[in-house]
Amino acid sequence: MSIATDARSAIAARAAVSGSRLTVDGIGKSFQGPGGSAVEAIGTVSLDVAPGEFLAIVGPSGCGKSTLLQVIAGLMLPSTGRVRLGERDVTGEPAHMVYLFQQYSKSLLPWMTVANNVMFAFRHRMKLSQAASLARCRDYLAMVGLADVAAHYPWQLSGGMQQRVAIARALAAEPQVLLMDEPFSSVDALTRLDLHSLILDLWTQKRFTAVLVTHDVDEAIFLADRVAVLTQRPATISEVIETRLPRPRHSIETRESPAFLALRHRLLDYLLTRGGGRSHARSA
Amino acid sequence: MTQLTADASARSVPRFRSYRLRDSRASGVALVLVLLGLWEASARLGIVQSSNWPPFSTVMTTLFASIADGELLPVVLSTLWRLARGYAIGCALGIGAGFLIGLYRPVRLALLPTIDLLRPIPIPAIIPPLIFLMGLGDTLRLFAIAFATFFPVALNTIAGVQAVEPVYHQVARTFGVPRAAALRRVVFPAALPFILAGLRTSLGIAFVVTVIAEMIVGQEGIGYYLITMEFAMRAAEMYGGIILVTCIAYLLNRGFLAWEARAIRWARLAETMQGDRA
Amino acid sequence: MRALRERGLLIVSGCAIPLTLLLALEVAARSGAVNPIFLPPPSAILATFWSIVASGGFAAPLAQTVLFLFVGYGIGCATAIVLGILMGSSRPIFNLLEPLIELLRPLPKPALLPALILFLGLGARMEITIVALGCFFPVLINTLQGVRAVDPTMINTARTFGHGRVAIWRRILLPASAPYILAGMRISLGLGLILVVTAEMISGNGGLGDAILAAQRTFLVKESYAWLVVLALLGLALTWFFSMVERRLAFWSAPPVQ
Repeated sequence: MSIATDARSAIAARAAVSGSRLTVDGIGKSFQGPGGSAVEAIGTVSLDVAPGEFLAIVGPSGCGKSTLLQVIAGLMLPSTGRVRLGERDVTGEPAHMVYLFQQYSKSLLPWMTVANNVMFAFRHRMKLSQAASLARCRDYLAMVGLADVAAHYPWQLSGGMQQRVAIARALAAEPQVLLMDEPFSSVDALTRLDLHSLILDLWTQKRFTAVLVTHDVDEAIFLADRVAVLTQRPATISEVIETRLPRPRHSIETRESPAFLALRHRLLDYLLTRGGGRSHARSA
Repeated sequence: MTQLTADASARSVPRFRSYRLRDSRASGVALVLVLLGLWEASARLGIVQSSNWPPFSTVMTTLFASIADGELLPVVLSTLWRLARGYAIGCALGIGAGFLIGLYRPVRLALLPTIDLLRPIPIPAIIPPLIFLMGLGDTLRLFAIAFATFFPVALNTIAGVQAVEPVYHQVARTFGVPRAAALRRVVFPAALPFILAGLRTSLGIAFVVTVIAEMIVGQEGIGYYLITMEFAMRAAEMYGGIILVTCIAYLLNRGFLAWEARAIRWARLAETMQGDRA
Repeated sequence: MRALRERGLLIVSGCAIPLTLLLALEVAARSGAVNPIFLPPPSAILATFWSIVASGGFAAPLAQTVLFLFVGYGIGCATAIVLGILMGSSRPIFNLLEPLIELLRPLPKPALLPALILFLGLGARMEITIVALGCFFPVLINTLQGVRAVDPTMINTARTFGHGRVAIWRRILLPASAPYILAGMRISLGLGLILVVTAEMISGNGGLGDAILAAQRTFLVKESYAWLVVLALLGLALTWFFSMVERRLAFWSAPPVQ
């Protein structure tokens, strides 16, 4: 696979306003367990994500959400089924998808400055001149409001700032699809709200397809167009709910709207009674 | 010996905390001075009457004289040059093997048991049989130095490569970074703290082996110098040589530590900063 | 199951390379690709090794080397552990001894051999002293670190229960720092072997180091290699023995990184 060709096709795809549909077709994944027996992490999952859509996947912790997302990203091969982006099967990490990791403190490379971390995202795919790379890096850092920390090292920044850098880095690769693995779970509550607004702004600007995995029901409803609910391991989809909340969404008002609260009630009900709320079922 | 500054085990995670306590060490300094005074007095006052026991001051003046008249300089340079070559060969092979073993399972299966088999051989013991094969020249000594250097470097490199955060590998993959570039820009820097710990450990070992090799099959170098002075009963020169060797070992370790601290400044700072926040 | 299979695979594949190498050497020596006078075929070395073993000729040098090694090692380790715990638990003692130790630690121990020979002669005293000196420092440094790493709450807990100083030493400081001490002792054992062999080579007063160098000087090529095999086996045996002891004594600590 030629890198240069890939880079060009990536740019071409952007210009055409991200055309490819992400199809998850009967994905299953099992691991070899400690006793040699197969442990099924994902049952059978099918999903269809339209270009430019924001999909959230919620489920109880340990249900295999991250595994599912890694399979979609091509970081892991499925045991059964296939993932397609447009007409192409995803069998390695495809040039048009980027994975945003949960642990920002581990996903940013501590031996590189913020600028080098951001440039790391695209310098191997797009052969840009040093000046063009720097300009591009500056643009994306400015987009997340961190133009002034380019020369810092990631560990000199607060947790929220580090996750902003990680977001800038992910978007600097100009993905058609951004796969987010609980990216807001390890920052404090206020920073999280802040990052929610940021990611929505960027999504509106860039119109990439977004797939978010989270255990936070509020976050899923606030951000997404559709919310898919996963069951306990082995994960299968038990329900897909359309949020139908008006955009642009507002940090406070949207979260207080009756429609939001009704969705929240419905989703929590699913998760606690059917999805895998064993403790809840027992106490009831 | 310098390798002893390494942590509990050569394979353990490198630590960056300094163990030196900077509060009053006056009593300790006093003790050192008293001992040196005793040395001087016992020799001068004839409490220890022996030609093997020159006073400390004589040892130091002899040492400075030997340095000043240029007698010691070629000796030291010859040792350092030998050390540098043997160490470089051992490090290159150790890092290379460490990467291959750490990254590829078949290589690991094939080579690791051989390494475990060879590692416990006491290095000086390989010298005599190899004299037949390599003669008394520098090849033999370089081989011994490289052999001793190889193991700590290889084992630390393996540990370092295997300890690289899985997330780092995934980051490289998600941005489509080619394998070679990922090795250079992700795996290598991530493993660097371990690799440097191995390099530091083996620098001390390599120096010791250099001295031993020069003692056993030497015609030159500081180890040979020490043995010659012993045979010649020139005690003052011999003690001076021992002091000089100690200073070299100390400087090598200090120099390496300073360089290491700069090279992986990010690791130390990242650790403390993240620690503060947690 | 899986671990067992992995282990079996490791043994099989691990033997492959040494065996191939030996076979290659055998062929090379027999075909004359290397001069068999300087590098005899492994089978011939093995035969010599066997004759040394069968005649019992290996016993005396081996016994001497092991005896000197263990006596020196024992003295060095015992002194280092006691001093290490003292320094680790008492600030004044630490302050008193630390500069001296910092000064002596970088000294490459083999460099002391000529001086020790002048003072102690070529015999047992010199060899035991050099081994003890060499083993002392790694154990001391590690003991110090181990004692420092003991959680103060552990000591305070013991105090609350009215344990005295000796009990705290025996029941808390020593066991808690044992993994560190053992790691230091492992380094020291390898170092001690190197030092005793070097000392034997330089003093020429018996032992495996003397045997190996004497064989070389009298041009007994096969014997020289055979003695190397004896020394390598001794090294392996010591390593194996030590990891067994370590597993038994420090079973509560995490196993070393593999």
